[in-house]
Amino acid sequence: MRSILNPLFALMLAAALAACSSTPTEDDSSATDTTAQQTDTSPVTPVEPAEPVKPDTSSIPLTADNFYNHPSNYDGTTDTRVIYFAFDSNTVPAAAFETLRAHATYLKNNANAKVRLEGHADERGTREYNVALSERRAKAVEKFLRVQGVSSSQLEIVSYGEEKPAAFGHSEMDWAKNRRVEINYTAGRP
Amino acid sequence: MKSVVSMQNFLRIGLILLATVWTTAAPAELLIRVTEGRVDAVPIAVVPFAGAHNAPENVSQIVEADLHRSGQFKPLPAEDMLSRPTNESEMIYRDFRVLGTEYVVTGSMKAQENGGYEVSYALFDVSRQVKLMEESYRPPASQLRDVAHAISDRIYEQLTGIPGAFSTKILYVTFNRHAADPYQLQYADADGHRVTTILRSKEPIMSPTWSPDGRKVAYVSFEDNGRPSIYTHELATTQRQKVSSFSGINGAPDWSPDGQKLALTLSRDGNPELYMLDLNTKALTRLTNHYGIDTEPRWLPDGESLVFTSSRSGGPQIYKLNINDKSVRRVSFQGAYNARPDVTPDGRYLVYVHRRNGNFNVGVQDLQRGTFNIVTRTDMDESPSVAPNGSMVIYGTQDRGTGVLQAVSIDGRVKVELPSKEGEVREPAWSPFL
Repeated sequence: MRSILNPLFALMLAAALAACSSTPTEDDSSATDTTAQQTDTSPVTPVEPAEPVKPDTSSIPLTADNFYNHPSNYDGTTDTRVIYFAFDSNTVPAAAFETLRAHATYLKNNANAKVRLEGHADERGTREYNVALSERRAKAVEKFLRVQGVSSSQLEIVSYGEEKPAAFGHSEMDWAKNRRVEINYTAGRP
Repeated sequence: MKSVVSMQNFLRIGLILLATVWTTAAPAELLIRVTEGRVDAVPIAVVPFAGAHNAPENVSQIVEADLHRSGQFKPLPAEDMLSRPTNESEMIYRDFRVLGTEYVVTGSMKAQENGGYEVSYALFDVSRQVKLMEESYRPPASQLRDVAHAISDRIYEQLTGIPGAFSTKILYVTFNRHAADPYQLQYADADGHRVTTILRSKEPIMSPTWSPDGRKVAYVSFEDNGRPSIYTHELATTQRQKVSSFSGINGAPDWSPDGQKLALTLSRDGNPELYMLDLNTKALTRLTNHYGIDTEPRWLPDGESLVFTSSRSGGPQIYKLNINDKSVRRVSFQGAYNARPDVTPDGRYLVYVHRRNGNFNVGVQDLQRGTFNIVTRTDMDESPSVAPNGSMVIYGTQDRGTGVLQAVSIDGRVKVELPSKEGEVREPAWSPFL
């Protein structure tokens, strides 16, 4: 039996239920209520989210356009290993800052830990140009971590362009899932 | 003027065959379908060769398919033929003239005592009622396809004045995510037959390209712990060499016309720049220096300049680089996305990927007249590669969500589909003349 309800899952559940509701401008308390009602019918005991819930944004439906900056993609801990990007962009999304700070803190506290930042692009455009674009994404994440004080010796960059998609479809949402940098611990995994 | 193929030509064909000896399995062959031919395609009749149905390869059928696939010829179906001559003495020009046929190919295949065949053919001009050429070959049974393509090449050149490219090969990457080794590098005859796997890998294989003599290929493989390296790979011996594995991007290799150097993209100095690697001395020369992306170099036939993709003006555009003085000049001006150029052997046309209304198509730029035409109607087109005779461009695109290859003539009038039987096919590279 699962004893821990992933806060990320709780957020997504809340967002999904909020989206189903007939009153789309629900405040936080009602969002919490629906979560509570849901857990009443379930043997799972919810754990209080470690971070304050941000219901204003988490209740926003996940779309291809806001996917990269959607709070449900980032739990603020080193458990999150994928950072998403807007179309044609290598700007690290604000929603990922907390997650990246958590990785930075971990890396600074664990000098033996090493990560490979793997840059990816969606399938549109030419392959080698996409390799170059995805390297820029990986470098943006690298720069963020370096500014937090992470040693360059702990960071490696590999850019794959569109060669290793996470989603194999051809929709806007598939492309949103593929524009990403994966944080891959090659040593000292948290 | 009957001629028997010289020993030299036989050795050449033998070499091609040698390259296919180490096939490990029989991968799916590519099927080819002409979707659009020229309205003025020349009516030709390839009469079934005598003895062809008993041979392991039906040479007349292969010749007919070759000519049809070029889009320049419209073969007469055998069932419509009023007579079926197999040599000059049986030829009745009137039977073809009444059908509007302009040229007739006849021939025969005779089994030899050594297990080989004697393949003879002749080409006739119906309106002038003359024999244009006649030749015979004596190949072993295993080389009948090579002989068929050689005949197609001869007929094509005789009638168009342009060397045929039917004896060439296509190199490409396949991807099948359910396979143990999803990424494979393969090559096949230009008609999709006789597929040979060069490399299989769990990690991506990219940007395959031929050496100018057609004996080697170069490609990017991520097999080294997921990091990219550039390899050169001799087809006949399967011997390969890792020639570039710097930190960062090692990408987009392209062989110089003299075969001595590779142009490539490296990001070892911070961001993607073009370099030139001397394959003999291993000397590395940096060619570009710009904070934008510079990648996808292609040598021009003069061996002294390259075209490449650069984001130095914002989005990707095509630029030309003079290797001697490193001067760079922009070449493409239409639209906001032009990338991955290739060039025709005469240096006159550039083909590259062009984005219009969110669609990615293959465009052809005439460097002499300054015109630009989009020649495809598919979407998500990529990796255009020009045939060594400059007649066709093969490229990767998507058909119902799957990567497929298509070919189009430089003028956009002929379109040929090469749907794969399984998985995705991508990044085609047309071989030089072999």
